[in-house]
Amino acid sequence: MLNTALYKREMKGSLKMLVIFAAVLSMYVSIIIGMYDPRMMKTLDSFYEIMPELMASVGMTAGATSLIGFMISYLYGFVLLVFPMVFCILRGNGLVARYAERGALVALLAAPVKRRTIAATQASVLISGILLLDLYTTGLEIAVAQVCFPNQLARWDLLKLNGALFCLHLLIGSICFLASCIFSDTKYSLALGGGVPVFMYILQMLANTGKKAEAAKYFTFFTLFDAKGIIANESSAIVGALLLGIGAIVLFITGIVIFCKKDLHL
Amino acid sequence: MSKINVQNLTRDYGSGKGIFNLSIQVEQGEVFGFLGPNGAGKTTTIRHLMGFIKPKTGSCRIDGLDCWKHRDLIQKRLGYIPGEINFFDNMTGIEFLKFLSDYRNMNRSTRVPELLERFELDPKIKIKKMSKGMKQKLGIAAAFMHDPDILILDEPTSGLDPLMQTRFIQLITEEKRKGKTILLSSHIFEEVERTCDRIGMIRNGTLTAVDSVETLRERHMRTYRVHLDSPELAECFANDFHGKCDGNTVTVSAKQSLETIFMNYYGGDKHA
Repeated sequence: MLNTALYKREMKGSLKMLVIFAAVLSMYVSIIIGMYDPRMMKTLDSFYEIMPELMASVGMTAGATSLIGFMISYLYGFVLLVFPMVFCILRGNGLVARYAERGALVALLAAPVKRRTIAATQASVLISGILLLDLYTTGLEIAVAQVCFPNQLARWDLLKLNGALFCLHLLIGSICFLASCIFSDTKYSLALGGGVPVFMYILQMLANTGKKAEAAKYFTFFTLFDAKGIIANESSAIVGALLLGIGAIVLFITGIVIFCKKDLHL
Repeated sequence: MSKINVQNLTRDYGSGKGIFNLSIQVEQGEVFGFLGPNGAGKTTTIRHLMGFIKPKTGSCRIDGLDCWKHRDLIQKRLGYIPGEINFFDNMTGIEFLKFLSDYRNMNRSTRVPELLERFELDPKIKIKKMSKGMKQKLGIAAAFMHDPDILILDEPTSGLDPLMQTRFIQLITEEKRKGKTILLSSHIFEEVERTCDRIGMIRNGTLTAVDSVETLRERHMRTYRVHLDSPELAECFANDFHGKCDGNTVTVSAKQSLETIFMNYYGGDKHA
């Protein structure tokens, strides 16, 4: 089903990018968790009073009372959505479309390896990258919280939350992968694979800001990731996360099927 | 049954580009030369054979297997040199060949050391820093490393210097002796002339002629009868020009090079 040699090579190719993104996330996660402090909360809430729309658009709302509630407000609305999204866009594009464009795919196709295996291997490389990034984030959050505020973080809630976040990231990854499989030209692959998630995120920002624009939430898959609902064990939030996961599986499979059927003018 | 069998293959890219109703058969142990100017449809035909693109009409079979449906099975015993070599830039030659042998899941020892020595390639350099000729040599090593029975070579000597071209021709001759089936696309007449049993000429997507190298030469051989002043002179003339002497008359035949024949096929249209 997968080709080990290709998987190893591509994971090596992911490594540099993973390290960079992990470093960026480390910085944000530790700074933001470190800011959890009742006095600091007042400062942040005052920011919210000054520019409510801007803060709300990136998911930051005032009045969080628990550490995890604080993290949801200040990490799960922007940092943990946007950076993994950029990773998905860049890596997704690099896994198929860039090889097709540069002709390096010839070496992979001129071998007794099924196209299905090649595409599934590339998809699994992207999924592994996302998984590693999310596992790292989870470990980091637990570690930083433990150091700064011992035993204040509800770990089980965090695991549920990051499970749902992983489903969201998978869906973003699957869109990027699908775009990469459809186009043999990175220009278009990036436009679709990057454009769709970014546009959806902008809709989410709009929906967050106010009542008039709230209808935008029906047009973006980001709505399906309901962090507060997951913590509160709301069934709609769990269904939302499942839908994200199922959507991701469907799109990954679609990408693989398209790659198997398309003409490659190499 | 033919080892490589292309039947009525058509692929219309519009505005006269593509291939039209193309049929080629290459038998086991045969070297088939695929000759034609740029944009004639050589690479398009090869893409079909490699299973990169699906035939719209017609069919392609290698060893009786459909080139699109069973591409992975066919690839087990096939070696391919692409017309343009674009491998993973950030690898060294050694890493690339190692990767390929793992990727192909090859257990037995490869021909890599022998090929590297034959073509004097130093594979420790990053591929992106390699010259055109070095990349080409790497492509040759990659195509022959698993000792395939069938070879599809798209302009295999481009970028190679004359010495290396000769070594490549030697390699092809050896492979042919081992009974390999080879399809070789080329512009270089000498390499085709020296290696191929039959030649197919393609132009504007249509096969204009398929013949053995000898037949092509014979068909285009011109014979002259020359009358000379004396039998002595006639004998000298016959010696100098490899003719047949008969009294005052000498019969000489001009063996045209393949290149001239080729130009006869293609050159004429320039004035049309």
